[in-house]
Amino acid sequence: MTTEVRPVPPAVEPPSAPLTEPVAPQGLSPAGRRRSLGVGKVIRWLLLLAFTVAFVYPLVWLVGASLKPKSQVFDNRLVPETIQWSNFQEVWNAGPVLRWLVNSVTVSVMAAVAVTLSSALVAFGFAYFRFRLRGPLFGLVLATMMLPGAVTMIPVYLIWHQVGLIDTQVPLWANNLFGSAFYIFLMRQFFLGIPRELFEAARIDGCSYLGLFRRIALPLCRPALIIVFIFELQASWSDLLKPLIYLQTEEYFTMPRGLKQIVDGFALSGEYHWEIAMAATLVATLPMIVVFAFGQRYFMEGLATTAKQG
Amino acid sequence: MGSRSLLQRREGRAAYLFIAPWIIGFLVFTAGPMVASLWLSFTDYSLVDPARSVGAANYQQLLEDPRVAKSLANTFVYAALFVPLGTVVALALAMLLQKVGRASGFFRTVFYLPVMTPAVAAGAMFLLLLNGQRGLVNQVLAWFGVTGPNWTSDPAWLKPSLAVVSLWTVGGSIIIYLAALNNVPRQLHEAALLDGAGPVRRFVSVTLPMISGALFFTIITHTIAAMQMFDQAYTMFYGPQQKSTASDESLVYMVYLFQNAFEFFKMGFASAMAWLLFVIILVITVIQVRVGNRFVYYEGESTR
Amino acid sequence: MGFGGEDEVGQSRIAAFKAAYPSVQVTNNKGDFDAQQFLTALASGNPPDLVYMDRNLIGTYAKKGAIVPLEDCISSQKVDTGQYREAAMKSVTLAGKVYGIPEFYIVTTNLVDTTSLQQAGVAVDDIQTKDWDALKATATKLFKRNGNKLERIGFDPKLPEYFPLWATANGATIIKDDGAPNLNDPKAVEALAYTVGLIDDQGGWTTFKSFRDSFDIFGEKNPLSAGSVAAFPMENWYVNVLRDFIGQGLKLDSTPFTNHDGAPVSMVGGSAWAIPKGAKNPTAACAWAKTMTDQATWMKAADARIAKVKKDNSFFTGLFTANKPADEAIRAKYLTDVPDPGFKRAIDNFYATLDSAVALAPSPAGAEIDAAWRSAVTRALSGQPAQQALDQAQKEAEAAFSKANGNG
Repeated sequence: MTTEVRPVPPAVEPPSAPLTEPVAPQGLSPAGRRRSLGVGKVIRWLLLLAFTVAFVYPLVWLVGASLKPKSQVFDNRLVPETIQWSNFQEVWNAGPVLRWLVNSVTVSVMAAVAVTLSSALVAFGFAYFRFRLRGPLFGLVLATMMLPGAVTMIPVYLIWHQVGLIDTQVPLWANNLFGSAFYIFLMRQFFLGIPRELFEAARIDGCSYLGLFRRIALPLCRPALIIVFIFELQASWSDLLKPLIYLQTEEYFTMPRGLKQIVDGFALSGEYHWEIAMAATLVATLPMIVVFAFGQRYFMEGLATTAKQG
Repeated sequence: MGSRSLLQRREGRAAYLFIAPWIIGFLVFTAGPMVASLWLSFTDYSLVDPARSVGAANYQQLLEDPRVAKSLANTFVYAALFVPLGTVVALALAMLLQKVGRASGFFRTVFYLPVMTPAVAAGAMFLLLLNGQRGLVNQVLAWFGVTGPNWTSDPAWLKPSLAVVSLWTVGGSIIIYLAALNNVPRQLHEAALLDGAGPVRRFVSVTLPMISGALFFTIITHTIAAMQMFDQAYTMFYGPQQKSTASDESLVYMVYLFQNAFEFFKMGFASAMAWLLFVIILVITVIQVRVGNRFVYYEGESTR
Repeated sequence: MGFGGEDEVGQSRIAAFKAAYPSVQVTNNKGDFDAQQFLTALASGNPPDLVYMDRNLIGTYAKKGAIVPLEDCISSQKVDTGQYREAAMKSVTLAGKVYGIPEFYIVTTNLVDTTSLQQAGVAVDDIQTKDWDALKATATKLFKRNGNKLERIGFDPKLPEYFPLWATANGATIIKDDGAPNLNDPKAVEALAYTVGLIDDQGGWTTFKSFRDSFDIFGEKNPLSAGSVAAFPMENWYVNVLRDFIGQGLKLDSTPFTNHDGAPVSMVGGSAWAIPKGAKNPTAACAWAKTMTDQATWMKAADARIAKVKKDNSFFTGLFTANKPADEAIRAKYLTDVPDPGFKRAIDNFYATLDSAVALAPSPAGAEIDAAWRSAVTRALSGQPAQQALDQAQKEAEAAFSKANGNG
């Protein structure tokens, strides 16, 4: 009762007042406009710039470091004194990197798709329907987030061992077929914001529950779906622990696991090749950056579409 | 049973169908291992030999081991530093982003970039940036006449350092807040303006309540994540090259748990630690939910 | 599991094994030893046949039964354990049983930046560890600071890692032969107090550590080249790194790290091959360990290293294998001319300490004892008196030791 989670998610625009632009207005009165064109705007841009620098600097440094020879990696210069493209060559040659790239793409996409669909389904179940066990069950969902994975890791490993799926990529994404508490929570917030009238109207028209889900809930919450997809894509892409314990054959490795092999291979008898490690890190990270840079456009469009739906 | 209408029963059945994937997954992959780890917490399990039952000895040790209390305290301090700061910073940045118009795509990518950087590389970079003697952060502070502390070696500044590193990765929350902010109906703002409300008043009375759901979500999930923080602390202070100089001030709970599980061969004790953390997080979350229910604005459920 | 083997020394030996045992299929799960990876595999009944780990982990893993005694392996494969250096064998032997085949031998000596010394008017021979008071004076003379910022450390005692070295040099045995801890031995306390004092005189721990953390160990601005450290004890592999910077003005020299009688002393590091419990093919695993570390194979590795050194237009800095006859043969054959006299002295010093290097006795509570003295040293550096810090460490270590022994 009081532990039942009934928060309000971001409200989705009711049909009677379509939003023509999803951005909040910038001071409509003339005085307001004049104010915001002045100091406010400058401050705003300065702040954004400052934070951009803060957020981006480490990455720019990473790019620089990946191009430096070993002796210069930590010299605090952003632009390398000597550019050594061969670092990337060495990383590329040190293992079947292309194969690992393909593996990572496969696994991450499967993981992301699986978790987005399953979490959405489950979240809808918790958001729309009213049933007795709703509160306690959702509490249980939340509770699964609270037990650190380190202690369930070995029992889970044993389960996969029983099924004979160690040294395959299946354990890396199959868990996602069943939804994940974090995303279920997130999507439920969004679904809860859809006004009930929309659903009632559709029910009267004879829509099935699945129809409600597919035709109303999903489209209206597209931004949430995209967010979940991207978050999970990122999480699965950069996960090292699961491949470390489940994969033994080099060919099945994902990028992080493969790169660990390369970096460790260079780090013999105490000498650590930081420039190789940085280049490897960049190779691992760049695909995700590219995907995100392009993908976030759809996210923006998703918002606009949401708003236009009458 | 008889008091439930046909509609309710049908709704119930349909609900369970929707939730079925999670229930199956829970029973197979979560419930079993959770029960297993609970059982393990009453054993002495070295991972090499089979587990041996020891009754409540592990739990007693939880009370006696000073490191448990210390790491718990460290984790609390860190969470208290990071959760409010992270929420405020992420919200502020999201609001800034909102007013930028077309360039916001670029900034969204920029702010999310840190989330995409692997923790190992981030840890190495921040050790450099935060270095008390030569790091960039202190150099920049020096421009403003501030003598920066020895972030990474002064015991008093270790947890703030961790908070700074975590702040760098709030990009995910920024995106969630952005979605929430963009969903605030424009005519509410317009109405408020017509009523003569200034920006602060508008923020407090219109924006905050409308995004309170997202705030609720992020605060709860950030707290849970902060209590379980591991990657940053481990890569900055407990990686192979740093390990020997680690101060007890930077020992967060999960790092100590990890050490017990995989370095001291005490998986049973680590499981007990995990369950203690579970209970603590549960209590905190329940409190947060109750408080949240009072402050979160109910809107989408007006027909209830 | 746990072996990368990517460089020419590793590759040549792997090739030697494959040539000797063509029918054995080798799958190498490459990457440094990771406890999570190994223990998960072990716990699920799916361990690798062979694991490569740091020698100072062997005691703990052996006591826990994670790795098995190698008596059968040694007798059936006729492994000559006498060829391995004593200190290396000591690290891998617990309660009289051998648990690992040692590989590599990492020793320490003092490395000195002559340029800094000349600037401060200090002679190279003043960098000595026989007379501790004199050393303190020398360090202070070499120490340079500019307000809040340190510019040069005179002598870095390398705390906390090298605490055992200082304790041993002072005559203490911090782990007794049966594995029992002896951390608050008065000589150990004295060593700790002295080295903490050294650091206090050179900026105090937090500033000292920040400064040290900012070093670029592998780069052009490495501490010796940049003059950030005038002298410190360092491991043998570092000479390989420094070799690249001779052309950029690095003037290296070296003095032995000695005890109060002037005899060289060093701790020993290195790795070992061990066979996990439940390994399915221990015979082949044993054959591998034996082949990787026998003299003939090491000679091939040295050949490969020399070839690379010639190609890089560089010089050979020694190969320290833990196999005594191999070491001597390689030294005789290949360590012919080292162009830089400072480097020559360094390499000679490393070789000189090989026979006298000691290893800490392995202990069933090895990991806990290690953790105990490390945090004691950190506490001492943060201000706690050395006696108190080590007393507490001894208490923790003894508790862990009796618990470990009580469990059989």
